[in-house]
Amino acid sequence: MEDKSKLIGFTCAYTPLALIDAAGFVPYRILPMGDWPDQAGQILHENLCPHIKRILDRAMQDDIPDLSGIVFMNSCDAMRRLSDAWQKVRPNDNTVLIDLPISKDDRSVSFFADELNRFAERLSQWGGDDIRPEGVENSIGRYNELAIHLNELKKRVNLGTLKDGSTRLQAIYNKAVTEPIENVLELIKQIAGEPDVIADNALPIYIFGNVLPDPEVFTLFESCGARIVGEDLCTGSRMINVIEIENNDKSLDGFKGLARATLSRPACARTIDPSNPGKMIHDVVEKAKASNARGVIGHIIKFCDPYLARLPSVREALKKEGLSFLLLEGDCTMRSIGQHKTRIEAFIEMLR
Amino acid sequence: MMLQYFENLESGINNAIKENPESASARKRYTIEIARLGKRLYSDTDRKAWAGALVPFDLLNTMGVTSCYAEFMASVLVSTDIGMELLENAEQTGYASDTCGYHRAIIGAAHKCLMPIPEFLISTTSPCTGGQAVLENLARLFKRDLFVIHIPQDESDQSVNFLADQIEDMVEFVANHTGSPLDKNKQCKAIENTNKAREVMSDVYNLAKQVPSPANGRDLSNFGIVMPLFFGTEAAVEIAQFYRDEFKSRINANNSGVPGESLRLMWLQNRIQFKNTLVKMLESEYKAAIVIDELNDITWDPIDPNDPYVGLARRSISSPLHGTAKRRIKHIIELAEAYRIDGAINPCHWGCRQGTGARGLIDSSMKEIGVPVLNLEVDCVDRRNFAEGQLITRIEAFMEMIESHPSPWKK
Repeated sequence: MEDKSKLIGFTCAYTPLALIDAAGFVPYRILPMGDWPDQAGQILHENLCPHIKRILDRAMQDDIPDLSGIVFMNSCDAMRRLSDAWQKVRPNDNTVLIDLPISKDDRSVSFFADELNRFAERLSQWGGDDIRPEGVENSIGRYNELAIHLNELKKRVNLGTLKDGSTRLQAIYNKAVTEPIENVLELIKQIAGEPDVIADNALPIYIFGNVLPDPEVFTLFESCGARIVGEDLCTGSRMINVIEIENNDKSLDGFKGLARATLSRPACARTIDPSNPGKMIHDVVEKAKASNARGVIGHIIKFCDPYLARLPSVREALKKEGLSFLLLEGDCTMRSIGQHKTRIEAFIEMLR
Repeated sequence: MMLQYFENLESGINNAIKENPESASARKRYTIEIARLGKRLYSDTDRKAWAGALVPFDLLNTMGVTSCYAEFMASVLVSTDIGMELLENAEQTGYASDTCGYHRAIIGAAHKCLMPIPEFLISTTSPCTGGQAVLENLARLFKRDLFVIHIPQDESDQSVNFLADQIEDMVEFVANHTGSPLDKNKQCKAIENTNKAREVMSDVYNLAKQVPSPANGRDLSNFGIVMPLFFGTEAAVEIAQFYRDEFKSRINANNSGVPGESLRLMWLQNRIQFKNTLVKMLESEYKAAIVIDELNDITWDPIDPNDPYVGLARRSISSPLHGTAKRRIKHIIELAEAYRIDGAINPCHWGCRQGTGARGLIDSSMKEIGVPVLNLEVDCVDRRNFAEGQLITRIEAFMEMIESHPSPWKK
């Protein structure tokens, strides 16, 4: 492929970015940002996840860069409906819907590997390079390097020693999924050379949930006296993390290793471990405890069934551990989070 | 309490038939079978499982496991006096009121100990993510094993084989819990029953296509989605035969389901599960017959009794509840044409991202073929916000529009 700046759109944190990279494309996450008129509800339904609706609003307003193609992961009802609606709104775009198994047993891994193979073929049809095993390995290495650097930044955010803390980190996450990897690495390396700032006495808070891409939201949290010491969001640390290919998979042809690694990554609430029902609830509690947070904020976009269904149990489990919990429901706009400012302030105040 | 409810339901209908044998309609026979299933679910004797709607119940029935999908039980529960209490209970425990009412009812019932504790649960990724989450919650609550089936989105060989393999694994999972492997002879017999039921159901649907239709707006409500619970059994064949006989007899006697049928309607997705007057009003005031429900269709081929897994997998994938909106719309349009409908009503069940999420896409596609769609905003199980008066006004306006709208099938 000659033009290495070609973009492949994506909308879900489960998207195998290394595969897109291995085809010589740049992954471009279509984030639910921008202040566009609410129109998507007319095509779908108002009672559908705002993440999906905001993305569709962007598409309807032509606020999407030139894409060589767009990949949708069949991760939930709303994502599937977005794929449907996209074809109506932008019928000339190259699109593919990749099935994403709900769990990571061997059968699911094999099936998902076939799906990745189908995706690789599609990338090639869209003008990408032929994907070879060594190319995938190389791309996984590049993303792992990025993930390691991001983790280092995250540690500084947790300690409160990075200037502009979580706001800045979120801006870098956004950059990492919309720009060539080299640009982001260069920026991170610059930041790594910056001296630490002195940590303030902000209250350590763990945050989990789904979509929260606006860096200003984190400014708001910090202005309320919180320091994010742990985070599990699909627009945050869940997007880019170290992928480890199991030794058994290394000797196999095809995409089995990447498939298993993708299905094993930090899970969104839509993923289930049948041998451990409610694992997501357990994970939230353990991660919150490990972060030494004094309180937990859950940010869930409205109408997100996978999270909404688990919240009562999450609340109960956190209570048992003596961790205070604040639930915020939003619609991906700064406006919706801004309305919660008083509640966030009161929550922080209560914990002091 | 629920056991009593189902016992009363069965005995009430049986007594009514005994007193007046001519009142023995197919719908009553079907309801009796539902009552019997309910009794078994709430008995202390049967092995029980909660499952997703697209699980092959034929195999569970063959393996001696009484099972049903959670949404079915929700629709029964909300029709009882305590239905709204269950929804409130779920909301008080933190379940958001804008999630699916079926799922809230189930969670409320589970917390109130009104859901029988199953031996195990089998969830399916389709029809919806919310249903999947609810079964996981129930597995956690009941501390029971969970088996998960991922239903792939398309009918490619790769997808079908993946699902067929999972169904085979499911049989092993069930056998490990019951201690009895699947008896191959029983399996063959069960699939033969399924194929017979399929064939007769197909006849029933073909009869319902006639103009005027022998079906009225209540005969086949929930039929296509509930019948799979009886697949594999002789009861499924018998119920379908009752319907076929009744529809044939109505046709022979020149009796249409709605006397003087003048308009034909399609009902999309699921019915409103609590008592309401909308269907009656459509029939009495507009002579409008709901001749087809979206889910009342045979979308799969006969299944090989000796090697059923691939056929069962194809059946699950072919469900109108499953897959892309494009595929769903194609199916709706085919039904619209086959049943020569004048309009469609989409209740837009509040909280259903899977079904209602495609509302606008369905609407615009139906417009292209000249069939108007009325989108309501209803929670099909939660009657607390059911504004019947407003809905009637909207339906009246819709029906007046349809009456003056040229039929797309008379060009």
